[in-house]
Amino acid sequence: MTSTAEQRAPVTVGAESTLAVVSQRFGSFDVPRDRIFALDPGLIGFPEAHRFVLLDSRPGSPFKWLLCVDEPELGFAVVDPAQFVPGYVAPLEQAAAALGCSAADVALLVLVTIPERPSEIFVNLLAPIVVDLGRRRGRQLVLEDPALDPAHRIPLLSPAAAAR
Amino acid sequence: MLVLTRKIGELVRIGDDVTVRVLAVRNRQVSLGFVAPSAIKIFREEVLQLIESGNRGAALAGRDPLNAVADLWEEVGRDEHR
Repeated sequence: MTSTAEQRAPVTVGAESTLAVVSQRFGSFDVPRDRIFALDPGLIGFPEAHRFVLLDSRPGSPFKWLLCVDEPELGFAVVDPAQFVPGYVAPLEQAAAALGCSAADVALLVLVTIPERPSEIFVNLLAPIVVDLGRRRGRQLVLEDPALDPAHRIPLLSPAAAAR
Repeated sequence: MLVLTRKIGELVRIGDDVTVRVLAVRNRQVSLGFVAPSAIKIFREEVLQLIESGNRGAALAGRDPLNAVADLWEEVGRDEHR
């Protein structure tokens, strides 16, 4: 019994620093625990989903993957709106006030919806997700600006490229 | 459902620290004023419904859609992205 415990010791250490997430839809991951952050309250419409991790979809891609470690079948594509939506005024002050941190610590993400034709993807500018990565907590803001589009198309292809 | 009848200017108090005042009634619209701690979020129902349905629609069915978008991005990126 003692020898078994000794043999398992390295595995136990690993299990403390990472969380094994097994998802039918997305596969299996060992998520470093220090990369997990909490959305409180959870995403609107998913009140049971609190702990998330942001993963690269692939190296260098702006499309990140927001995976719920509480409900591993729940995952989203997200992007930093600054890269896709020129002129989107990031509500950093509001986010910082909501999270109780400074604006410099806030990372801003918007949810991406990928329709059947992936070139028609759109993002939700009305309800960005803001995360204080230092303290690993965040929330989905509801912005009170009627000019913000909850289904803002983002050009993945230029018209010339799309015509090819 | 609790139903209260209020005149313009009158208040309803909810719990210890939320008040709702009827500010005006015009045609078929009612203006309400809310005073509540900032931790209590107050939204129009239809805004939350819109975001909720948007969130549900954004949930991924698997890795393929995200891969498809990343592929498209890379494909275009060879000529166009800086």
